[in-house]
Amino acid sequence: MNEERYLAEVDLAWCPGCGNFAIRKSLARALAQLDLPPHKVVLVTGIGQAAKIAHYVNANGFNGLHGRTVAAAAGIKLARPDLTVIAESGDGDLYGEGGNHLLHNIRRNVDLTVIAHDNRVYGLTKGQASPTAPRGYRTRAQPAGSPSAALKPLALAVALDAPFVAQAFSGEIERTADVIAQAIRHKGFSLVNVLHPCPTWNRIQTFAWYWERLVHLEERGHDPSDRAAAFAVATGSGEEIPIGVVYRTDRPTFADGHPVLAGDPLGLRALPAPNEVRPLLAEFA
Amino acid sequence: MNVTVRIAGAAGQGVQTLGDILARSVFRTGLYLHGEMSYHSRIRGGENAFTLRIGDSPVLATETKADLLVALNAEMLVLYRPAVREGGVVLTDEGVGEPGDGAVRLPAGRLARDELKLPIAAGVVLLGAAARLLGLEQERVSNAIRSAFGDRAEPNLRALALGYDQVPDRRWRLPPPQFQAGEAMLLTGGQAVGAGAIAAGCRFLAAYPMTPGTPVMEFLAGHAARYGILVEQAEDEIAAINMALGASYAGARALVTTSGGGFALMVEGLSLAGMIETPVVVHLGQRPGPATGLPTRTGQENLLFALHAGHGEFPRYLVAPTDPADAFYLTMKAFEVAEKHQVPAIVLTDQFLVDSYAVVPALDPARVPVRDHLLPVEELNRMGRYERFAVTESGISPRALPGVSEKLVLVDSDEHDAYGRITEDLAIRRAMVEKRLRKADGMREEISPPEIYPAGSLRGKRVLLGWGSTYGAIREAVEKLGDGYAHVHLRELWPLRTEELRRVWAEAEEVVLVEGTATGQLGALIAGETGLRPHRFVPRYDGRPFTAEDIIAEVER
Repeated sequence: MNEERYLAEVDLAWCPGCGNFAIRKSLARALAQLDLPPHKVVLVTGIGQAAKIAHYVNANGFNGLHGRTVAAAAGIKLARPDLTVIAESGDGDLYGEGGNHLLHNIRRNVDLTVIAHDNRVYGLTKGQASPTAPRGYRTRAQPAGSPSAALKPLALAVALDAPFVAQAFSGEIERTADVIAQAIRHKGFSLVNVLHPCPTWNRIQTFAWYWERLVHLEERGHDPSDRAAAFAVATGSGEEIPIGVVYRTDRPTFADGHPVLAGDPLGLRALPAPNEVRPLLAEFA
Repeated sequence: MNVTVRIAGAAGQGVQTLGDILARSVFRTGLYLHGEMSYHSRIRGGENAFTLRIGDSPVLATETKADLLVALNAEMLVLYRPAVREGGVVLTDEGVGEPGDGAVRLPAGRLARDELKLPIAAGVVLLGAAARLLGLEQERVSNAIRSAFGDRAEPNLRALALGYDQVPDRRWRLPPPQFQAGEAMLLTGGQAVGAGAIAAGCRFLAAYPMTPGTPVMEFLAGHAARYGILVEQAEDEIAAINMALGASYAGARALVTTSGGGFALMVEGLSLAGMIETPVVVHLGQRPGPATGLPTRTGQENLLFALHAGHGEFPRYLVAPTDPADAFYLTMKAFEVAEKHQVPAIVLTDQFLVDSYAVVPALDPARVPVRDHLLPVEELNRMGRYERFAVTESGISPRALPGVSEKLVLVDSDEHDAYGRITEDLAIRRAMVEKRLRKADGMREEISPPEIYPAGSLRGKRVLLGWGSTYGAIREAVEKLGDGYAHVHLRELWPLRTEELRRVWAEAEEVVLVEGTATGQLGALIAGETGLRPHRFVPRYDGRPFTAEDIIAEVER
């Protein structure tokens, strides 16, 4: 399928030079690569610059609340396993406000693909430090520098045994599309952390800064099935920025063997007739 | 005629199980009953009491005084003995209390230990004695024990028989059966909400455990496999309502169940439901607050909170069932209203209703029609462009599910256009606000009027006004107070129907609000909508349910 088909013809309200443009392109290319019809895809987003992508891609969309992206996505996927559900939002939404939902849905292992736009800052609210901002990162809200250490989302996901953990860089459109396609194809919870510069607010982690530090895991002979190696990559010093599939495993998903989820999708089942309910009421007679 | 039995013991002594067995035995005898469970928030120790009122007509309230007290330990004897009616009987173990204190002291603990090698069965021995005093057939109680204990029934059946042997004969003569098998049902309010949800086609429940929301979760979990319902324990209440909204967007009728604190966490999600016009039903079991409050007690403090929860303006439906039958039908209706009008619906109960047993007329799931309110797929396929939020006269936009046709379905928590795309066009904003709010007009037409008892004019009468689970206590008080009193009760509280209320105020001598709060929230609500205020207020905020005696004492004061 042609990737143009997935690009909605609307004005994009992102700043010039924003990494989100490229991520949108990578997502469309991944969907085209997988030949997924737009009506079989649900893009679930929260609030933030990245979350606007639900309006910019031709697919079903659930643009919900800030931080609740993964929770809503899990509800959709559990009701409709016939749909491909992608939860996509920024680092503030997924790792800050929504951290708890991320933890527990990795544990649940719902078959979701989570794409995190990680630019280390809050774009929509004008530049505050995000959970992935380095310690000491100065903003108007953190004038003395962020006092907290940066969250390491890859390490978090590997520690929780997320079945698919990868990192991408927005500047590499083809490579990012490929890793998103792999994540969608992988059964179970997948996290793709997509690093991207914020030319408006982040003057430190610029394109040039990233290009100097990127290393490609497949070129390093990294084995994503080796959890210890994956953890070493995910907890790395930060001097090098690993790109590619960090960790890959198979473990039972939420739906596997679930007594209710076998059979027709819950969201498409018929309403009960009164006679089907009478045996239930007989318990009280 | 009424006989009231109270079984009281420490948590862990099996008060609930004994109460269940006694309630089921009385129900099988063809008699009405109300069984109120009162807990301390502890798993072991603390006070648990089950108060069972037996009657020849429906009983929907509890009472303070008892005719027969079964005290499982010394603390309960001291605590509840003063609440035994003149001429009543107190049963306890021989090791409890003092000889000559008027209690019937039986060797229950000794028999359970020595004869049955099962010390916990002491309670069943006392239950046997109580059942005999009540004139219940031993076989009926045995059957109830079999269904309660399953393959562990045998020693308990022997304990029951030992109990029957301990007292000479019956002390009370129960009325003849009042209904035939199949004409009535015995259930709690919590079970009724769960059963109503299943009957309405609920397919998804996400909840974080919180008393008294949890019994609904457990009921659905117990029936999930058979009726095809996904029951998932969410990481928090915020997740619960957002998961439910996701599931509902995708086509699964969805429920969340919680109490005030959990509902507070859901509030942003409730607002989202209003904005994306996605149905969800919230069961909100009230308990006294603020904050953690009295976790296992009852109250009605969340009426205004539930009505005002959520930033921004959007319509909602709110019901407060009066008893288990009402809880069944109104939960069904809540799902239907939520689906038809694409709004959040709140079923407002409380610990008293959720945990209390009552005998009600047999439930009929056909009474509330369950309809598919979605846009048929053939129609969707015929459309050019599908607009999820098309502006209509009723305010209701034809709702389609994602993935059932090539038409895309987009919803957005931002203000959006008819398609669902984010917009800052302020003309569209105005049209969307008006469209959403118009739905309340259609909902109001489907609201049942307040119940007025006795029917007819209220001239010269004092009206006791209430809502929700206080129904039984207020009705009983009005019946006992007799001429000159009437009962007006609201069960569908929002959108509020005001025409009947204006008549009540126009005709009645005095309107007395009876409510489980310290501030009189229904009074504030009605005043806000009509300018009419209750003349008097009977509050209750000690965590206990209202009884008719309390209301009469306050009204006559």
